[in-house]
Amino acid sequence: MPRRSAQAWLDALHALPPPPRFRIMNVCGGHERAISRAGLRSLMPAGIELIPGPGCPVCVCPEEDIHQAIQLALHEEVILVAFGDMLRVPVNVPRSRPRSLEAARAAGADVRPIASPRDALRMARAEPDREVVFFAAGFETTMAPVAAMVLEGLPNNLSLLLSGRRTWPAVAMLLETGETAFDALVAPGHVSAVMGPEEWDFVATDHGLPVAVAGFESASLLAAFHAVLRQRSAGAARRENTYPEVVRPGGNPGARRCLETAFEIVDGNWRGIGTIPESGYALRPAFAAHDARRRFPEHAAPDRRRAGEMPAGCDCARVVLGRIYPDQCRLYGRACQPRHPVGPCMVSDEGACRIWWSSGVRQTEVANAEKTPSTL
Amino acid sequence: MCLAIPMRIVAIDGFLARCEARGVEREVSLFLMQETDLAPGDHVMVHVGYAIQKISEADAAEAWALYDEMLETLDGEAGAPRA
Repeated sequence: MPRRSAQAWLDALHALPPPPRFRIMNVCGGHERAISRAGLRSLMPAGIELIPGPGCPVCVCPEEDIHQAIQLALHEEVILVAFGDMLRVPVNVPRSRPRSLEAARAAGADVRPIASPRDALRMARAEPDREVVFFAAGFETTMAPVAAMVLEGLPNNLSLLLSGRRTWPAVAMLLETGETAFDALVAPGHVSAVMGPEEWDFVATDHGLPVAVAGFESASLLAAFHAVLRQRSAGAARRENTYPEVVRPGGNPGARRCLETAFEIVDGNWRGIGTIPESGYALRPAFAAHDARRRFPEHAAPDRRRAGEMPAGCDCARVVLGRIYPDQCRLYGRACQPRHPVGPCMVSDEGACRIWWSSGVRQTEVANAEKTPSTL
Repeated sequence: MCLAIPMRIVAIDGFLARCEARGVEREVSLFLMQETDLAPGDHVMVHVGYAIQKISEADAAEAWALYDEMLETLDGEAGAPRA
């Protein structure tokens, strides 16, 4: 079937009956980047709002986990490796102490950015006399490769500080608590490529909201917006898939099996949000020897869970929840910019604030209460 | 974070494949693809060094058009794309 162009989908979207107000949430930094970069918000029919939600695993990585990684890097003879955008995320400690992994590195710690779990393996094998700790944050798409790495066999000197999260439980929490009001969901393409689009069926069946899995091209995103608006017009709700070339029924069964074999599902703390049931991963007992939390127990700091909210004055939590847009944070573009970020949403490439800033949004629209997504 | 890029498999050795995209070769793990038949010449979506799904050649070409755009964006920033 020939695919429609972005323009054709846009025309089709405008041809549907315009809703009074229709809020479409995405939960994927890649989606938000594609939307912002293509300027899709300004092309929407009146009434349609595109809300960035919890789509950034680095932004919700618990402060106590980052704190633990920093302490490990500073006080143990370890090589601490993490995906690059984790390095600049700040923790809530006095300015006199290292507030990020990058600051720990500047203070002499051996902290190294990696682009793949395979880099961590290579480093551990290259320096068998040193302990390597892989601080692994990510959603399902990233945790599947981490699971593969675990199952292929880890060298003795490699351990994992796991901070992986599952996306759908966060959406379920938003829907069950009414924390954030939205009318439809665009579900993440590569999470669904791994887990299967069926994971999102509950949005339609349990909550009666339209949902469409989308890819990262404008055409796929616009097709998804069209799909959910068409459902709304028809008074029906179901799960559609506008990224079939990559997202197949059942996802990638081999990858799902790896996730199930390596990890068990546990409750997960989300920074600034709190504990979300069944939203986290932990190593199964067979791999406990490679759990950095067990190997270096003295650096766990459970008391930080209270101190570990977002930095003072930072509205990242409400941005992540889709309750405000990035430029409605008082710090956005002022105290908080990519060069001197206050909150994680301005640090990570997947953070909504960072994406909006990169797309040229400055402080023009701050505190416009009318456009607050959760205003009913 | 969940960015994936399409690559063409050049050669397979166990769970490892040499993959190519735009003239650049990388070693890619096929460990997550154990329930999928793959052969040299096939295309896969690659995320953080691991193939996560098989795609058609036509879809790979289309995805590359998008990826070129994203690379332009990312090049102007501190963060590097994860392939």
